Amino acid sequence: MRAALRRTGLERRDLLSMAVLGAVYGVTAFLSLRLALVEDNVTPLWPPTGIAVAALLLFGTRLWPGIALAAFIVNLPITPSPLAAAVTAAGNTIAPIVVVWILHEVGFRTELDRIRDVVTLLVVAPMGMAVSATIGATTLLVSNEIIQPEYWQTWSVWWAGDSMGVLVVAPLLLIIWNQAHGRYPSPKPIALLELFGVLCILVVVSLLAVTADVSVLFLVLPIVGWAAWRFQLWGAAPAALLVSSAATWAAVQNRGPFQGEDLLDRMITLQGFNATVAFTAFFLAALVAERARSREALERGSAELEVRVEQRTKELSDANLRLRGSERQLAEAHEMARIGRWEWDVGTGDVTWSEEMFRIHGADPGAFPVTFERAMAFVHEDDRTRIREDVEALLAGRAKNKAPDIEYRIVLPDGEIRNIHARSKISATINGAPVRLLGIVQDVTELRAFEREHRIADTLQHALLPASFPDVEGAEVAARYVPAETGLAAGGDWFDVIPIGGGRVALVIGDVAGHGLEAASLMGQLRLAVRAYALEGHPPGVIAERTDALLHEVAQDEMATLLLVVLDVEALAATIVSAGHPPPIAISADGARLLPVVSAPPLGLGSHGPFPESTVMVDGGATLLLYTDGLIDRPDLPIDDGIRRLLAVAEANADVAIVDICDGVLGAMVSGDASDDIALLALRLVPVEEGSLTMRVPAEPESLQQVRRRLRRWLETADVPKQVRDDVIVATSEAVSNSVRHAYGPSSAWVEVQAALSNGDVEVVVRDRGRWRPPRGSGGRGIGLMRACMASVDIEQGEDGTVVRMRRPVRSAVAT
Amino acid sequence: MNDLAHIAFEEQGRVVVARLAGEVDLSNAGDLERSILGAVPNTAEGMVVDLSVVSYLDSSGIRMLGEMAERLKWREQRFAVVAPEGSRVRGVLTIAGAEAVVPYEDSLEAALDRVRGRG
Repeated sequence: MRAALRRTGLERRDLLSMAVLGAVYGVTAFLSLRLALVEDNVTPLWPPTGIAVAALLLFGTRLWPGIALAAFIVNLPITPSPLAAAVTAAGNTIAPIVVVWILHEVGFRTELDRIRDVVTLLVVAPMGMAVSATIGATTLLVSNEIIQPEYWQTWSVWWAGDSMGVLVVAPLLLIIWNQAHGRYPSPKPIALLELFGVLCILVVVSLLAVTADVSVLFLVLPIVGWAAWRFQLWGAAPAALLVSSAATWAAVQNRGPFQGEDLLDRMITLQGFNATVAFTAFFLAALVAERARSREALERGSAELEVRVEQRTKELSDANLRLRGSERQLAEAHEMARIGRWEWDVGTGDVTWSEEMFRIHGADPGAFPVTFERAMAFVHEDDRTRIREDVEALLAGRAKNKAPDIEYRIVLPDGEIRNIHARSKISATINGAPVRLLGIVQDVTELRAFEREHRIADTLQHALLPASFPDVEGAEVAARYVPAETGLAAGGDWFDVIPIGGGRVALVIGDVAGHGLEAASLMGQLRLAVRAYALEGHPPGVIAERTDALLHEVAQDEMATLLLVVLDVEALAATIVSAGHPPPIAISADGARLLPVVSAPPLGLGSHGPFPESTVMVDGGATLLLYTDGLIDRPDLPIDDGIRRLLAVAEANADVAIVDICDGVLGAMVSGDASDDIALLALRLVPVEEGSLTMRVPAEPESLQQVRRRLRRWLETADVPKQVRDDVIVATSEAVSNSVRHAYGPSSAWVEVQAALSNGDVEVVVRDRGRWRPPRGSGGRGIGLMRACMASVDIEQGEDGTVVRMRRPVRSAVAT
Repeated sequence: MNDLAHIAFEEQGRVVVARLAGEVDLSNAGDLERSILGAVPNTAEGMVVDLSVVSYLDSSGIRMLGEMAERLKWREQRFAVVAPEGSRVRGVLTIAGAEAVVPYEDSLEAALDRVRGRG
């Protein structure tokens, strides 16, 4: 059973529906047959057909077997043979299927609320019912139930009955179903009461009309119309059913208007009447319903429109508010950025200026009517030609709609000159005729002044810093200066390297408070002051004291920090003075450390010192790092963290070549743009050579001490005994003294000393570029000392200088 | 004057004593000579230059000492140098054969005696 169901696509509830439909169909058919006019099976109102059409419309044509079975059972007792019953039942089934199929094809809607649905039903139902009428009447004829002359009467009654069954019953069932499923608005109780009243009146009038001896059937029409107009389908359907039923009953009973007519005439009258009633009722109902619906849609539409108009109005006003807000913001932005806007209508010659445009030109907004010539009058006369040429190029279309940015000067009424940066474009018609020019200008006076000062300060700063360093015997030096990237960058930081004789070098680093031109120029003065005091031979504490006094003298309100390190390259001792400056760093094999300083107040406070000196020893091969606070002072970190980081970075760069060490430290310490000036000075002591000694010193008396110290260290390293050591030092110092005494001109500015151990001898060679002879007499004491100290002294005078070669056995206590 | 050497003056009766420390060479000999001579008034009997703690003295230093002796002699003032046996300066003075030009003694007392004419 299940399998069979599945094959046919049916479900169990379909079977149930079929059974219910069959039962309803059968019961109704049985009752209707009592109205039979022809034989016992032809009735002028056949509601089962209406039920069948409604059911197949609502539930689908697959329920046809229920109808077929019920029709067969109903027809079986009233037809001559089972075959005739089956054929009749087939006709009764096919007709509704045909109707439903056609209705589906034309897009029929079961709500019946459109005129086209009503008209379709009224046309299609009688057409379809011709099928069942033809099959039924023919069957009766073939089975000799009727004779040939009776055929058309039978056919007409059959057809009329089936048609009326569809027209009168099916709509009622459809609207009951749709009402139950909420497809119509619920009627009000008062309306139901009115409907009931109308139907009662209709019953009374109908009964009067069908029983009266005169033909007054038409009397029911106004009432049917009333019901349909007031209650649409709910009025039309019951009214049509009632009136049709009453008329049919009268026709069957041969009463009232149907009295004395023959069957065909009665059928024609009855069908005509019923069709008229049904058509009037349903047509009117659909018409009113349609009208009501369109009115409702119209009302809904207009309400919606109203809401949308309100919404749009609000949007517009909001947009307007926003626009005004942004206009104000734009104006404020223009004011702050000093941006003016102008427009020039080429056709009319009208020029429009924004408020800020007027202000840039030193006038109140709208102070005068603007024209091109009026605007040109502001332009500095040296710039006018240039601007006119640009404008002509724009107008002639040579500038491709957009002029290059230009900068020009304007002269205000009070004589003030402002720098203006301008950008303009043209809008033109399609064929290129210019319509208007528009553009913006920006007052860049302050910016240009700022840039100018920045440039000068930067140039000055670089010019005031040493371009290169003198050679420092026994040490290598490197330095970097990095100007701040923001603001008036340059100025203030400086460094210097000053050889001060005796194998000593003064390392200087300082920072004048502030930036810009003033700081840069003050820096230049301080650098020279420190250099002068250092060259005068003052100890570091005194240099600081004098520089402090000088700064206080020349610039009352200025302040500067200063760090002085006087390094004895031979003795490896550093004497340090700090005036408010961060301490130097010493990097050696053991790591990086801060050298201890006794910090004094910055220069320029008029404190008159004292600036205490501290002396520390440094390792041979150590690197000293002097820096300004720009390197360690970052806004996001405490200064101690900066110093800790610098120590770590310095240690990491311990083995980097001196020329790269500054860049290495800067790269690790400074990410992105420097926010403050940074000066960095590095000095590395060159370790003493093991095998031989070579040095080149200035031909000046101050070099003697340095020569002696380096020579002493080298002799000590070479394990030369003390007596020999002292003698070699004396002899060498005397040789260099001779070179110094006889040095003249720039070409003889240097003395070269070489010392080596060879075959158990200490061998010293002193070369210079001068020409001198061993003087005679007492002035020859130096030569005498040399000869006394050394085993051999050979003085060789050549074209390009003098060479002194001396030897002394290492292991001999006595020189000669 | 650079700070290669330092001088301290004191008076022993009418004798001015200049105590030198550090090194004497071409770079400071002239300055030292002027400083020391400037510290000897005409009224002084003479002067002693104490070189006991000088670590280095070169030919310029010897010449300086010789010239000082000349000048003082010309002013009729006496002059002596302290250069103890075994000191660096004594070695240099000895090998330079400076004894004839620069009168030196082993101790301050001996030098003072010499200046005062008791030696």
